[in-house]
Amino acid sequence: MSDLTKTGPASNPDILFGPIRKDHVQRYSTLVVLVVMFLVFALVVDKFLTPQNILNIAQQISMLTIVGAGLTFGFAAREMDLSVGFAVGLAGVLVPLLLVKGVALPLALLAGLGAGLVVGAVNAGLVTLVGIPSLIATLATGSILFGVNFLMTGGRAIYGGLPDGYLWLGQGKVAGIPVLAFFMLAAVALAWFVMERTIFGRYIYAVGGNQKAAELSGVKVRRYRAASLIVCSLFAVVAGTLLAARLGSGQPNAGERYLLDGLATVFIGMTMLRPGTATVLGTFFGALFIGVINNGLNLMGMDTYIQSIVKGVIILVAVAVVSRSTKLNLL
Amino acid sequence: MEIVLSDITMQFPGTRALDGVTAGFRTDEVHGLIGENGAGKSTLVNILGGSLQPSAGMVQIDGRAVRLTSPHDALVQGIAHVSQEGSLVPGLTGAENILLGAEPKRAGAVIRTGALRAEAAALVAKWFPQVRIDLGRPVGELPMADRKVIEIVRALRGAARIVILDEPTATLPAREKEQLWGIIRRLPQQGVGVVLISHFLSEIKALSDRITVLRDGRHIRTDSADTMTEHDLVDMMLRRSGGANLRGADAGLRKDEVVLDLADWQVGGVHVPQFSLHAGEIVGLIGLTGAGHFGFARSLHNPAGARCARMNVAGKTVQPGPVGQMQAAGIALVPDHRMEYALIGEWTVRENLAMVHPTHGALGAGVLSIRREEAEAQRVMKLLNVKAHGSGQLLKTLSGGNKQKISIGKWLYGAEGRYRVMIFIEPTEGVDIGAKAEIYAEMRRLAAEGVGIIIASSDLLEIESVAHRVIPFANQRPGPEIAQSGFSESTFIAAISGTAA
Repeated sequence: MSDLTKTGPASNPDILFGPIRKDHVQRYSTLVVLVVMFLVFALVVDKFLTPQNILNIAQQISMLTIVGAGLTFGFAAREMDLSVGFAVGLAGVLVPLLLVKGVALPLALLAGLGAGLVVGAVNAGLVTLVGIPSLIATLATGSILFGVNFLMTGGRAIYGGLPDGYLWLGQGKVAGIPVLAFFMLAAVALAWFVMERTIFGRYIYAVGGNQKAAELSGVKVRRYRAASLIVCSLFAVVAGTLLAARLGSGQPNAGERYLLDGLATVFIGMTMLRPGTATVLGTFFGALFIGVINNGLNLMGMDTYIQSIVKGVIILVAVAVVSRSTKLNLL
Repeated sequence: MEIVLSDITMQFPGTRALDGVTAGFRTDEVHGLIGENGAGKSTLVNILGGSLQPSAGMVQIDGRAVRLTSPHDALVQGIAHVSQEGSLVPGLTGAENILLGAEPKRAGAVIRTGALRAEAAALVAKWFPQVRIDLGRPVGELPMADRKVIEIVRALRGAARIVILDEPTATLPAREKEQLWGIIRRLPQQGVGVVLISHFLSEIKALSDRITVLRDGRHIRTDSADTMTEHDLVDMMLRRSGGANLRGADAGLRKDEVVLDLADWQVGGVHVPQFSLHAGEIVGLIGLTGAGHFGFARSLHNPAGARCARMNVAGKTVQPGPVGQMQAAGIALVPDHRMEYALIGEWTVRENLAMVHPTHGALGAGVLSIRREEAEAQRVMKLLNVKAHGSGQLLKTLSGGNKQKISIGKWLYGAEGRYRVMIFIEPTEGVDIGAKAEIYAEMRRLAAEGVGIIIASSDLLEIESVAHRVIPFANQRPGPEIAQSGFSESTFIAAISGTAA
């Protein structure tokens, strides 16, 4: 009896030296696929493994990663935000619009964040106060935002007259590394810290892990469900602000693809590390996964619609893996 | 007509719900079927109603072997099943519900509404001439008893000879109950047998001609209702854990300090006029399923919908409020069904332990310290003798007893003795005998530290092992309390089979 009571991380040698365990296969197989895919592209595609291209990938996935990091909060609490793509678009037109009208850069950036807060608060209110499932509530607010984005711009792109300081956020480099990559890393680090090292993150996970148990442990479940949706919107508007800076213009429909791709990063992430649970690092690897595929297929000269098919298949595989190992219950 | 189930066994993955049960049902009787939750009543009637196919055994109608492959098949053979939850479409009228799927039609597609109404009214008049129901209104607007009648009439519209009624009065107000009782009694006179499942023993006694008792998937006895008292029935229904009495040494009570004092506590249909709990005291709550003791115990920690004239916790007046508020006042709950209500299987042991008081190991500003968390988790694991590879082991991989220890440990981690009232519901559900003794010892240790403990359990031996006094519940009311000197299985059984309504 007492030989089992020893505790402490080092007392289980199986973890280090034992035979390959089923849960390890589950945890790391997606990561192995990512590495293999990377190596295949490196061998097959000429310009894939160059420092320039690696930085390209980092730049390409930075906004996606930020959206995904936000969505991770939602998924961890079992809330799905389908309005993130349009929240990206909202900041992507609002911030340039204000800048073109001569509003100072810091104020314009704050206004972008404020818009995210409002969208998040509306989503959260609909879900936790009115009681509409997040999948449906955010589908509706997404549709509203889509309209709002076009109304604000009259359907046209906003360009010209954007200050250099703003464009630098999306196009500049520091020590040869894109500024966007720093934003991405900062967002991942922040999200990771909050999820893994704060009580806030712990409770978000608790609400998603077992809502009834969380409630009976005194967790204010509603508050954390609401917070998870607000975080989704906040990360989305940051991504949208950066996206317009990168494009050098505010385009009302530029954010749309971030919904599907963002969900994909989370789903892929849920197949690894803690299978069935959305984690920030998992999402980050999910974004890398999508970035590597997009970039590799691009360099091979594949059309974007082929990429779309490939991505769809990957999402299906990821979701199939997740729902086989755990019960994926988001509605 | 007589339908006989012989030697029926039903094996589900991991559990055997029925084990060689033999029972016969006739068209000239109301046949009561009783047993505690998990005894196998539902499984048995689901087999009878064609929803489940037994793993082994035989079904015979009038001596002829039959197979009931679906509810429809059972209906064709004359057996109708009125389930507990109700199966009416709330938006359709009574008449539409009665003839659902058998509507009189014109040209095979268009419903003849006039004929439908007349046919439904005729059916009601045929079976229950004394009943008046507005068949033209959506059933969602009708009283509960009328809805049950409509369900029964629908069940009888074919050639049903035996109708299964699963908890037909569970959702009914008292007045409507009696109306339905009258209806049930009449059915055998009209050649339709009733198989009646009910948690209310008085109801079973009053309505049944014969009664079958099940326990843990086994047939215990079938006999004429007059030959068995309610005391006999309870005695047969209760499962025995079969273990030894695990009574341990007690520390003295602190009779001077009251940690919980209630007056006029009302929640759901449960009413407890007065309740008090002393520091160091372990009070057992017992009763049959539905007696109200579990609901009462749960409501002390999660009093949604509860009202009271007075609630004092450790000398302070407390308003019933959200869980967080009750915890702040010093009330903790170790619930039953721990994987559903207490723990997160995908989390580590450490994270589960820290669920209630993550602030304990925090660095301030809501930032966790994994190192401090680890230290506190180790302390609690050691205190409770949790057998795990380490605090990082996933909770779902622990044994039942160790999971239960973590469910208790949540209230010790970082709590610094703030809980003065701890409620345990079925604390040794799915726990092996060794861990059981350890859990009892822990309850005694907590009591010795001055915690007042409430334990609600359906295991009478468990109550006998740990409680200082017992409050029996029957019909959602507490009965006269039983002092430790009076503890015995037969006093317990007598107390919880009380018929006062």
